[in-house]
Amino acid sequence: MSPAGPPPRGRLLVHGDTPPPLGRELSVIGRSLDRRDALDKVTGAAMYSSDMTLPGLLHAKILRSPHAHARIVRIDTSRAAALPGVHAVLSLENTRGWHTYWYMIAQPAFPEELAYAGQEVALVAAETVDIALEALGLIEVEYEVLPAALTPREAMAPDAPRVPVLDVERPREGNVQQPVYVRARGDVARGLAEADLVSESRFSLPTQYHVDIQTRCCIADWDGRRLTVYEASQGVWNVKRELAKSLGLEEEQVRVVVQNMGGGFGSKAGAQRVVHYAARLAMLAGRPVRLELTRPEEFLSHPRRYAGEVTMRLGARRDGTLTAIDAEIVLDIGSGSLYAGRYSMTLHQISELYRCPNVRVRIVAVYTNTTPTGPQRGVLDPIATFSTEAAIDDLAARLGLDPLAVRMTNYAADFQGLDDTTPALPYTSKHLDACLAAVAEAIGWSERDRPRAPARGAVRRGVGLAAYCIERGGYAPFSAKADVVARPDGSVEVQAGVVEIGAGQITVLPMIAAEELGLPADRIRIHHGDTDGTHYAPSSHASRITSEVGPAVLQAASLVRRRLCELVADRLEVSPLDLVAVDERIHVRGAPERGVTFTEACALMTEPEIRATGSRAPNPDDVIFRLFGAHGAEVEVDVETGEVRVLRIVCSHDIGRPINPKLVESQQYGGAVMGLGYGLYEEAELDGKSGVLLTPDVHQYRVPTALETPIIEARNVEREDAFYPYSAKPVGEAPLVGVMPAVRNAIRHALGIGIDQLPITPARILEALAARKASADAG
Amino acid sequence: MTTALGPRRPVSLTVNGRAQNLEVSPRRTLAEALREDLGLTGTKVGCNRAECGSCTVVLDGRAVFSCSVLAVEAAGRVVETVEGLAGPDGLHPLQAAFIEHDAVQCGICIPGMLMSLKALLDETLAIGEDDVRQAVGGNLCRCGTYPNTVKAALAAARALRERAGAEAR
Repeated sequence: MSPAGPPPRGRLLVHGDTPPPLGRELSVIGRSLDRRDALDKVTGAAMYSSDMTLPGLLHAKILRSPHAHARIVRIDTSRAAALPGVHAVLSLENTRGWHTYWYMIAQPAFPEELAYAGQEVALVAAETVDIALEALGLIEVEYEVLPAALTPREAMAPDAPRVPVLDVERPREGNVQQPVYVRARGDVARGLAEADLVSESRFSLPTQYHVDIQTRCCIADWDGRRLTVYEASQGVWNVKRELAKSLGLEEEQVRVVVQNMGGGFGSKAGAQRVVHYAARLAMLAGRPVRLELTRPEEFLSHPRRYAGEVTMRLGARRDGTLTAIDAEIVLDIGSGSLYAGRYSMTLHQISELYRCPNVRVRIVAVYTNTTPTGPQRGVLDPIATFSTEAAIDDLAARLGLDPLAVRMTNYAADFQGLDDTTPALPYTSKHLDACLAAVAEAIGWSERDRPRAPARGAVRRGVGLAAYCIERGGYAPFSAKADVVARPDGSVEVQAGVVEIGAGQITVLPMIAAEELGLPADRIRIHHGDTDGTHYAPSSHASRITSEVGPAVLQAASLVRRRLCELVADRLEVSPLDLVAVDERIHVRGAPERGVTFTEACALMTEPEIRATGSRAPNPDDVIFRLFGAHGAEVEVDVETGEVRVLRIVCSHDIGRPINPKLVESQQYGGAVMGLGYGLYEEAELDGKSGVLLTPDVHQYRVPTALETPIIEARNVEREDAFYPYSAKPVGEAPLVGVMPAVRNAIRHALGIGIDQLPITPARILEALAARKASADAG
Repeated sequence: MTTALGPRRPVSLTVNGRAQNLEVSPRRTLAEALREDLGLTGTKVGCNRAECGSCTVVLDGRAVFSCSVLAVEAAGRVVETVEGLAGPDGLHPLQAAFIEHDAVQCGICIPGMLMSLKALLDETLAIGEDDVRQAVGGNLCRCGTYPNTVKAALAAARALRERAGAEAR
């Protein structure tokens, strides 16, 4: 374990007083404790929304559009409604004007004009799934089938059909979302003119599906006054607010409960369509309704990762110094961009990572007649990171320079300003240079061109790396709160409106409270995943729980400690400032015998409980919050079969200090595996004519298994960062973003060819090799 | 009220060491019977077509996808599910190792993972990394816990070997 003395607290982001320092070494933070939900998960006791049932439960099923673009001319649900066992039907007929909400983005619940194959047309709630399915077959729909635009190219054509979108309130021009996003710094034309070499690269990055292993499932229960929803969502508070708005209820009338969830990865960040439908059906039927999607429905209907076509032009001098970065990104946002248009996310990698006076980033977001898009682990970071880091390697190759040396030549220690109007500022901390060095050492960078014995026939070996810079560390509205409660019997509870997504949220937050109170972590209970009994907390997305809810828990626990110290100080007739909470005791600093046990201290309270609320303050604007790190990859490529075998992935995250190193590494393994899937295996196919998804299953859409997973090593860089609780910087998404470019660059090193389309399948490698051979033969 | 259901049939089987007598529709899957008739919801269903592995149980010593075995096919046979893994002496070494090596994130695939590995370890304790990867090759984990799955399975095999060695002495 690395030495972790008391970190500075000067900039801990809380409202009110900054919690005082502990004045002692840390005893809980920094330990690889077992996650507290693991026991229930290995015994089968953990209940997910799909495992629950309620008395009188009805089952709902969804009728979906078979067409990529169509108008409903006539819909008649009367025969379905009349089927015995059917209790409620939803469609355009009885819901005109109804909107569902996701990230508070309004979407028509049942539009007349349908935007993609698989869109919801009607729902039935019935006594059994079989009856519901039979009823769907009795719904008569007459469609006017309209021409569809399935790709940005088709959608931007002069005579393109107008895509009817879900994010109806967004401005658009034709099928292009408005405004077109442009940020520029300096003068790109001049920078390109000054360059000794302009290196152009074009990349094609496909969509990616989340493939949560638990398919969406919720149970909605309306008692005539209050709606209770048992969900698999990443954020109970987001769902509560969005449902209340959609259904015209007071927020107090909606309770959302998520005790366990089977994977999220961004796909469940807010109130999913299924939740709105189940709730409305339950309110209509007066009985609880269960709505569970099948695996194919998961693929057809939920927002997936943005796809992007990218053109990068890098201008550089012969020594590799960048003079210009010009990036043009065309995003396929499907029939709705359900992420509030945070296209600025692409900027940070492209415009900040390297020192460059002249940068331009232009993003054109195009609607198509395909499933809507939304956040997925890293959101737009993979597009930006892949494009920048692959382009840097291409540039280095064209200049005959070492790609790592080019990165260091252009290293940017400080924030350079996103455009000419934003000031240059420091980062909260940045140790990317140390991350790159750690990866280079672990992956054997300096020996990468030394031939390896024995050479094996058609197998070529390569090593590559990539750096990343992503914008994380807290988001508006910065209103996370959490309570810590101590009771006379000595028990302590953290109450936080967060969801355990599988990243360890309910393990880490009690560790923070335990540290502040001088208790072992297992003495702290946590009430979570429930809007009853908690304050607002953000969804478990955007790597934000530890950095946003963590400070609130820290502050609340510190306030509880202060109150207990006051009680003990009165008893011992000392100043509370002389007391320290450690080893389950509160005693005079330096005199452990002059004190009481924690439980005895709690027994001194005259009130029924000591409760304190911690509250996260906004990020200050005089410092920039970003995350940094690097990935390295070692691969073998078979030039006869095109098969890529990844031997090793090295991850180095500029982590600050890990609260629980074991859980941090698990995030890094998971991110790397999902990145490998995106880089090498996962590919969906749409029928180019009908717009129907041909690969709606995990047999054809290939997510990685244990068989493809290489050795994954974490070589994190640990340093203090006073803006985070115990210096713990976020880690959830970053472990994915550098994997794809590192693997691509390793394949480039192995073959001398940059593959510019993901996933890098054997077919694409063979095609690239054949093209090189053809070009050499022609030459 | 019900539709398209054939006559129910009696099925007797052993689940986690207990005899169970069910009346099931001929098309009911073993996964449905376990979850809905017996309330054993530890077994998960992630795709219902033998692609994701989350429904894996052990049937007569072999790991099977319970979504693709009919309940009537399990008649007279022995089924083990995650709920039966822990014994009177506490957690199975696989469960303990999964906790210690953090082979659990969201947890939805874990019952299936554990049962695939249970079948492997019941067959042999002389396993290496490749055996583990093969055994869970049909169990998808989107959280990507695989490196820890391997560590945990090898640790569990080691613990079971030591236990067997101690008993032999």
